Amino acid sequence: MARASGDGYDAGTQSAQAVQPVQPSEPELVQLLTPEGERVDNPHYSIDLTEDEYRDLYRDLVMVRRIDTEAMALQRQGELGLWASLLGQEGAQVGAGRALTGRDFAFPTYREHGVAYCKGVDPVTLLGLFRGVNQGGWDPYDKGFQLYTIVIGSQTLHATGYAMGIQRDGGDGAVMAFFGDGASSQGDVNEAFVWASVFQAPVVFFCQNNQWAISEPLEKQSRIPLYQRARGFGFPGVRVDGNDVLAVLAVAREALERAREGSGPTLIEAFTYRMGPHTTSDDPTRYRLAADLETWKLKDPVERMKAYLSRNAIATTEFFEQVDREADELAAHIRAGCLALADPDPLTLFDHVYASGSSLLDEEREQLASYLASFEDEKAGAHS
Amino acid sequence: MPSYKDFKLPDLGEGLTEGEILKWLVQPGDTVTLNQPIVEVETAKAAVEIPSPYAGVVTELHHGEGDTVDVGSPIITFDTDPSGEPAPADTGGGQSRVAAAADMVPQIPAEPGLAGGPAPKANTEEKIEVLVGSGPKSGKLTRRPRKAAASDDPAAAQPQPARVSAAAVGAHAAEIAASAPGGEVRVLAKPPVRKLARDLGVDLTVVTGTGPNGTITRADVESAADGSAAATAPPARAAVPAGGEERIPIKGVRKQMAAAMVSSAFSAPHVTIFQTLDVTPTMDLVAKLRGQRDFEGVRVSPLLLVAKALLVAIKRNPLINSTWDDVAQEIVVKHYVNLGIAAATPRGLLVPNIKSADSLSLPELGRALNELTDTAREGKTSPADMQHGTITITNVGVFGVDNGTPIINPGESAILCFGAVRDMPWVHEGELAIRKVTQLTLSFDHRVIDGQLGSQVIADVGALLADPAMFLTWS
Amino acid sequence: MSTLMLGKALNEGLRKALEDDPKVLIMGEDVGRLGGVFRVTDGLQKDFGEDRVIDTPLAESGIIGTAVGLAIRGFRPVCEIQFDGFVFPAFDQIVSQVAKMHYRSAGHVKLPITIRIPYGGGIGAVEHHSESPESYFCHTPGLKVVTCSNPIDAHWMIRQAVACDDPIVFFEPKRRYWDKGEVDTVTAPRGLWDAAIARTGSDVTLITYGPSVKTCLETAAAAETEGKNIEIVDLRSLSPIDWETVLTSVRKTQHAIVVAEAPAYSSLSSEIAARISEKCFYELEAPVLRVTGFSTPYPTARIEEDYLPDLDRILDAVDRSLAY
Repeated sequence: MARASGDGYDAGTQSAQAVQPVQPSEPELVQLLTPEGERVDNPHYSIDLTEDEYRDLYRDLVMVRRIDTEAMALQRQGELGLWASLLGQEGAQVGAGRALTGRDFAFPTYREHGVAYCKGVDPVTLLGLFRGVNQGGWDPYDKGFQLYTIVIGSQTLHATGYAMGIQRDGGDGAVMAFFGDGASSQGDVNEAFVWASVFQAPVVFFCQNNQWAISEPLEKQSRIPLYQRARGFGFPGVRVDGNDVLAVLAVAREALERAREGSGPTLIEAFTYRMGPHTTSDDPTRYRLAADLETWKLKDPVERMKAYLSRNAIATTEFFEQVDREADELAAHIRAGCLALADPDPLTLFDHVYASGSSLLDEEREQLASYLASFEDEKAGAHS
Repeated sequence: MPSYKDFKLPDLGEGLTEGEILKWLVQPGDTVTLNQPIVEVETAKAAVEIPSPYAGVVTELHHGEGDTVDVGSPIITFDTDPSGEPAPADTGGGQSRVAAAADMVPQIPAEPGLAGGPAPKANTEEKIEVLVGSGPKSGKLTRRPRKAAASDDPAAAQPQPARVSAAAVGAHAAEIAASAPGGEVRVLAKPPVRKLARDLGVDLTVVTGTGPNGTITRADVESAADGSAAATAPPARAAVPAGGEERIPIKGVRKQMAAAMVSSAFSAPHVTIFQTLDVTPTMDLVAKLRGQRDFEGVRVSPLLLVAKALLVAIKRNPLINSTWDDVAQEIVVKHYVNLGIAAATPRGLLVPNIKSADSLSLPELGRALNELTDTAREGKTSPADMQHGTITITNVGVFGVDNGTPIINPGESAILCFGAVRDMPWVHEGELAIRKVTQLTLSFDHRVIDGQLGSQVIADVGALLADPAMFLTWS
Repeated sequence: MSTLMLGKALNEGLRKALEDDPKVLIMGEDVGRLGGVFRVTDGLQKDFGEDRVIDTPLAESGIIGTAVGLAIRGFRPVCEIQFDGFVFPAFDQIVSQVAKMHYRSAGHVKLPITIRIPYGGGIGAVEHHSESPESYFCHTPGLKVVTCSNPIDAHWMIRQAVACDDPIVFFEPKRRYWDKGEVDTVTAPRGLWDAAIARTGSDVTLITYGPSVKTCLETAAAAETEGKNIEIVDLRSLSPIDWETVLTSVRKTQHAIVVAEAPAYSSLSSEIAARISEKCFYELEAPVLRVTGFSTPYPTARIEEDYLPDLDRILDAVDRSLAY
């Protein structure tokens, strides 16, 4: 099926075409909903949803944003040591998250709180890592959502291996590997592209190009649009408007279906913007202009959906207020849950290092236990 | 009821220790909602807006714009239940009870924190807390108090200072001893001790260790090298006759006594001198004293007068009441007398002492002696009773023994032994008579006391007992 | 019972592992059609297929990273790193991901991955083909590390390692791949974590592993002629170490010497020396000595014999130990 180049879609198997240089101001990308909230068509992708489904997507966007802003507040109040904000990326994450089915497994980075929400992971369980009470408080097998990976790009290999496992045990799901524009430079990500293509593994590589890797802009990571990298490895790449939840949903669904039916990997570049800092320890005012932020505010993923819903009478004021109340409830749940996350007992230091146990650790555990018991103020974890 | 909550400046970015208040976005009296921005803070990394952690009314700002604040110190206080009684105006810290002169109703002091009082002041001496795991914690400056060590040796007066190491050594050595295959000689000694043994030509396999759980100490090796009794050969595996053997474990009081005896006998050069005396006047005096009112309830015995005589002799010859301090290379002459009395008790031989015996009157001394003996007989002598003695009397007379070669109590320089009082033939005023005769023995440390002094002391004691009128002359 | 070369014993062990559990996979560079550069996986792809014996792209990080994913999916990958010196591109996946996954997931995610690595020198090779990197992995909590020294151990240890639910780095002494020995494929001689007394003695204990075990055996035979009776402990498991066997031996002989190719500085040999010193303080007649490679990068082939611990250097240490 011939597809025109230069419109955000690259089949990856064409012979050499003129490679487009990076043009962040006017990128070609798949779009189904404009920043103003108007539906548009795309030659390759379409989506057909019921009114309930549109409203549900809006609700998801609001919830995900609220999770993020509440967590940011908690960090500023000293309840979390750190938070990686997804502000501005709600559309990309809800679109991808809602494309995933119960059979599919997601391998996130450390920013995919929106995908976690869509997969059914309680947002409170995401907080443990950032509060410092655990290193990932959920069971990955429970919702098909792996623990966060902080080493950049490593999870793309894990995702590829998992997909190779599906091939070998006859499973019918697919895998989605999340990573950012910065990660696309990592060796592991490129090795993952090699393996996925060579083995035709059922994995979708979902890159949220939010334009920044901490302070380094896209130009430091690639000379060509990221979606075109896939061609070098021999599989299709597509750039989608990351703030357009409808387009992301459509593109992600199609890529996952391709993977499930055995046609191998796809690279999706969700073109979006990191509206907040890299993490709460970062100061973006040192490396980017306020004017850029203003431009991107006009492309807000939640606002455009709201505009679409109201303009087409798919939702009423009551509905929007109801969603806001639900968001408040969710925020209260997150706040209470966060404050209730207790420090672990010191002796739990030794738990789960090995599946088959260790006599050395048993010895060390005993030593720490009797050492701690030797203090008059025998409180577990009491420090001066 | 107002509920006051402080908000402390958090570590905003992985290891920050302080921040500068740039701008307050609220003022005292303002009502704020949860997450409403309240202040802008500048840190080493960025300028950050902090959202309110509480909904309520701002009651106090603890720092002004431009102030640099440590992470962990309170910056603002909220009343999270402002529908309670309103807080009175801040009295500016007046806390003294002052009754106004013109108005006899006393002022009730406003203590911070009570309902109706002013908002609690920030405790700026609070230690820095980092609220959530991130960021550096300040280092410990003091030790957490440990539990007291449980001593496993009942006679030990002090807890062992290196509790863990001693226990570990003992346990380790015990472990080794337990795992020794039958018949094999285990040599337990630290490398420096082994080197010493090699240098001195000592075979460690034939040395008995006196350290914890049988480890061989430096002293053991040195003793072995000297060929003294501290080193013993392994028991000859001769056939045991039909009568059998009984083994008594060496521990407790016996162990302590042995150690003391060894330590004293083999460090102080002992010289023992004897004197035989006619103590008939003393025995008469004892009978008289028993009838006196001041001695009602006191068991008066000759020992009481021997003790008093020794106290007087000490006054005349202070050097007898001293100790040889090898470490400081000094002789310490004590101008108080803690008089030890060797006592046979159910636990074994103990030497409790009467503190400051020289300051006691004769009846007081008698009472003290009674108490000491009674306590000892009941087995209730305490370690404190036995510490800091300066000189000792041992009464072998109660066993019907005349004299002996007593061993000086470690830490002292002399010991007086008092034998049985017998009816003996004696030359009294030129004629043979039956008199009450006894023997005095004095052992002394020849490093401190020479023969002349020793003789003088025993002579003085004898003189007093032979003629109690001398107590008056020498008082 | 048959006489097998160590490499062949491994091959038969891997075959058994593939037969016993359909979730076992073998993956690495050249392991399939070629059968491995040392033929350790010879014939396996033919019998078990390309889906189970996988020729991978030339990407060590990819080998381990995809093995992580396969293990999460429920497989038991046996990865081969072609040579010791080439494990380093995979080092991040091994220590940051493989080692920590069980711990950080509070036990939800198990990674029963075996990473086979030929190691050690003495084969006259060019650079990066004679390394002894075991200390890096022993130092990493969450990993277990084992090494065989002879054919029967090679056969059983690879089977036991594959069956273990923890990630194991399995070091194979490449200079011993062609050593022959009796292999009973029915009964395991001992457990995976047990050390073995390779030779009983009374005067000195040599604690060693992998390629150095044979060297120590040859040394002990020579020492016998001098009237010295040497006991040899083959550690087999480097993390965890079977301390009971080690310490019992040291308490008996009261002289301990650690022998290994890897440089002593900041090494596994140093851990062994420290722990023996702590636990056998009263029994030691001499300090624990270490006979190892020097603190240099592995040298060029023509002088590697001066670098590696050999009979004379070990006996020199034995003499020094006995002279204390």
